[in-house]
Amino acid sequence: MQKTQQVQYNRAGQRVVSPEYLLFEAPREKQFMTGSEVVKEAVKRSSVDASVSYPITPQSEAAHMIGELWVEGYVGVYFRGESEFGVMSEVAGCSMAGARTVTTTSGPGTLRAMENFPMWAGSRLPIQLVLMARGVNTPLSIQPDNLEISFLLDTGCMIWHAENAQELFDMIIAGFVVAEQPDVHVPIITAIDGFFISHTREAVNIPPDDIALPPYNPYKSPLVPIDMEMSPGRFLRDPYVMKSNYISYAAHTSWQYEVRAAIERSRPYAKHYLRGLIEEFGDPEGEIVFVASGTAGAQAKEATQIMIHEEGIKARVVRIKTLRPFPYQELLQAVQGAKYIFVPEFNVIGWLEREVRRALYGNVDIPVIGSPRVAGGMTMPPEFIVKEVLEYLGKEVKHVI
Amino acid sequence: MSQPKRRRINVRMPAIGGQGAVTAAHIMATAADYAGYHAVSNPFFGAEKRMAPAESYVRIGIEPIYDRGEVVYPDVIMVFHSQVITMGKSYTMPFYSGIKKNGLIIINTEEDLLTERDHEYLESLNVKVFNFSATKFALDHAGTELSTNMAMLGAFFGITQIVGMDAVEEGIKARFLKKFVASGGTMSLDSAIERKFKKKLELIEKNIATAKASYELGQEWARQQGMESWLPSPKEVARV
Amino acid sequence: MSFNIFKINEDLKEFMPPEIVDLEEKATWGNPKRGVMDLPYSKELLEEHSLCAGCPESAAFRYILASLPNPEETIIVNSTGCTSLVFPHIALHTVHSLFGNQNAIASGIKRVLEWRFPDKVKDVIVLAGDGATVDIGLDCTLQSFFRQEKITTICFDNEVYANTGGQESGLTVKGHVFKMAPKGKQWDKVPIWQIAIDSGCHYVARLTVSSPKKVEKVIKQAIYVAREVGPTYVHLYTPCILEIGLNSDDGLEEMRRTDKERFKFFEYMTDEAKEVIQRKKEEGLI
Repeated sequence: MQKTQQVQYNRAGQRVVSPEYLLFEAPREKQFMTGSEVVKEAVKRSSVDASVSYPITPQSEAAHMIGELWVEGYVGVYFRGESEFGVMSEVAGCSMAGARTVTTTSGPGTLRAMENFPMWAGSRLPIQLVLMARGVNTPLSIQPDNLEISFLLDTGCMIWHAENAQELFDMIIAGFVVAEQPDVHVPIITAIDGFFISHTREAVNIPPDDIALPPYNPYKSPLVPIDMEMSPGRFLRDPYVMKSNYISYAAHTSWQYEVRAAIERSRPYAKHYLRGLIEEFGDPEGEIVFVASGTAGAQAKEATQIMIHEEGIKARVVRIKTLRPFPYQELLQAVQGAKYIFVPEFNVIGWLEREVRRALYGNVDIPVIGSPRVAGGMTMPPEFIVKEVLEYLGKEVKHVI
Repeated sequence: MSQPKRRRINVRMPAIGGQGAVTAAHIMATAADYAGYHAVSNPFFGAEKRMAPAESYVRIGIEPIYDRGEVVYPDVIMVFHSQVITMGKSYTMPFYSGIKKNGLIIINTEEDLLTERDHEYLESLNVKVFNFSATKFALDHAGTELSTNMAMLGAFFGITQIVGMDAVEEGIKARFLKKFVASGGTMSLDSAIERKFKKKLELIEKNIATAKASYELGQEWARQQGMESWLPSPKEVARV
Repeated sequence: MSFNIFKINEDLKEFMPPEIVDLEEKATWGNPKRGVMDLPYSKELLEEHSLCAGCPESAAFRYILASLPNPEETIIVNSTGCTSLVFPHIALHTVHSLFGNQNAIASGIKRVLEWRFPDKVKDVIVLAGDGATVDIGLDCTLQSFFRQEKITTICFDNEVYANTGGQESGLTVKGHVFKMAPKGKQWDKVPIWQIAIDSGCHYVARLTVSSPKKVEKVIKQAIYVAREVGPTYVHLYTPCILEIGLNSDDGLEEMRRTDKERFKFFEYMTDEAKEVIQRKKEEGLI
């Protein structure tokens, strides 16, 4: 067995500090960088053991830079896999063997890899997937569109949705910490809207690169790690398919519930490390409330500013940071006093609108309007959001152009 | 005539692939950030090919910027290549679609490329048009048209007067001295330009010289037009 | 038992079925010279395994498990199918994750274990059926060969999707009528052993499991070469007696018959592999 004494330095020679120090206390310096570069900086400070990559726009740059970290000695294992299906299985193998593991993908890659995500969750592997959402075929699109997040909602993975490069940086670090809690220990998907974050250059405050998270301790896993340092015994990771009886059904069912319960148990940790599962922005008295996540949240903030300063309409934003677990209580509390709830989204189906309706149904009687909604790579100019709201309210649209 | 004080400038840069519009956008945002503004830049999100339409965007403001993506309603449009207008190599048609009142268009050209109707429309919005040959400027000052983007950048800051040449220099140095994530195509252009200048510092010097000359030209033109600084300085904002 | 791998709680021992107690008391672990000759006295697989009575796969399992040179530091990655039904019944680390991704999982495990435990020998072995290896998992199988992953891949070829009820697979012989090939298979059996050679395997063997000693030798050679050189591939014919209409006691006869024709013993090794095998022979380990 590994000794439990405190590790002073990680394998890359960085000084190990507490997650609290790294996220909240360490001095930070302003850098001007893209979302892809931010992934590198976050991984560099997270004592990551392994990563497997595959090219797909817009996540490729981030994946290249994790490779650079491998060359520089900050990541232990790195290679290009054969496809996203292969990659997600390879990182599963890495995680099973006791590694802190990260990978990245986008759009069609997510869908190709799909079978792996419930397997990760069922195997309780705290892998981090940095998801840079883009449109899925057909027709072919490489543009920003986050439909794929909808497909991931019920895979048994935690899903967080970052608004900008700064939040992505902090979420990647916090993601490892929360996902690896022994009572959580499920995969974490840190999602961003591709291009809007990955390819946008903005100011980001980051701590120095000679400190890093404590290394992952696989011996704290709620399941036995396959590293042969423990006696295997009659060790079973299989589904109980060989016995079609009630015990096998019950085992499967209860494990499915347990995975979801593990996500629920992540709430207090996520709340602490993300400083809340939601962010509230704008006029607290606002009667128009935008409920949004990711880049749609950012666009809603701009729209809110225009409405307050130029239209004299009280408005605010409730930005959802964690999609799984979904912040039911926080949302319910935050929308008190609202007259209308608008849910702007970057996809055609309106998955967040569905989530919001489910959370509010029977609890409050406020109309939920799934608008505006853009997809296939369109941007959502704040002027456009304001126009949609004004039209819905039957007000004159004057300021836009 | 002075224009109303803005809180934000949204810039759209229609160009063709290989002209360095993405680099110009990143330098512009870096310079504004250095001067204390909030700034964000991003390229057009698509497969960029040499000589095909390429676009990049910058947002500069005195408050935190949340808005991102393509700039649909720009205050400033910087046309890097005449083909944007003459051959419609633009993601929006006409290239000035969405331009805001009191806006500005900078065009890299030696002659007026706009039709009478274009002029009428732009005048109705009080949009100013600044034609100047950035390519010729680059050839004169840097000896290569690869520095066209620097000439465009200088003109923008000269006209808008939001940052001094010190910040522009800082942005250029940051771009060429720091390790920078660039696409394969951008890297090959970088090495081409570096070969040309043999030394990186010489390249930076020439780029700064180009930007400085067009900065002064833009500044002079803005004075003639009676323009003031397009944004309150970050220091003024801090005092308020 | 010389190695504390599998231990039953003393207080519960009297309640355990004797064959489970046998797994502990008659285990042969901790000795790299172990082999199929231990089988009459020891046990690696429970009698109540989930395969059909008389299934040649169960014989193959016994021979392989008895032959592993380093069972206490071995991980078997399996895939969905008949083979996956057996693993919960053996005292070894096994992983089942999806159908067809076995070589990808094994790649990740092997690379991380090598990185985490540079001073230890850890064998990673893929054990999957023909559908998993050659149809749904072909990409992952071959790519792991291309990448020169240091893993041993063993294919149990029963020439059919048996667990799902007898469908044609890529390793079914041409003309054979199975479900989903109601007019008979239209194309040839995939020569995966040859593809393995062309894809970079350093040791490849094709055989039936009619001879336990031969299986032991091949498995040990494949594992030793994978440890030091790169990917190895072992192709075992384990006929599905059920789907080809044989009785429970006909499996061995079927394999002996094909020993002389389709599954005539075939072996390939690179020079590097030859060197390793020669050295291990001199050390008395093969």
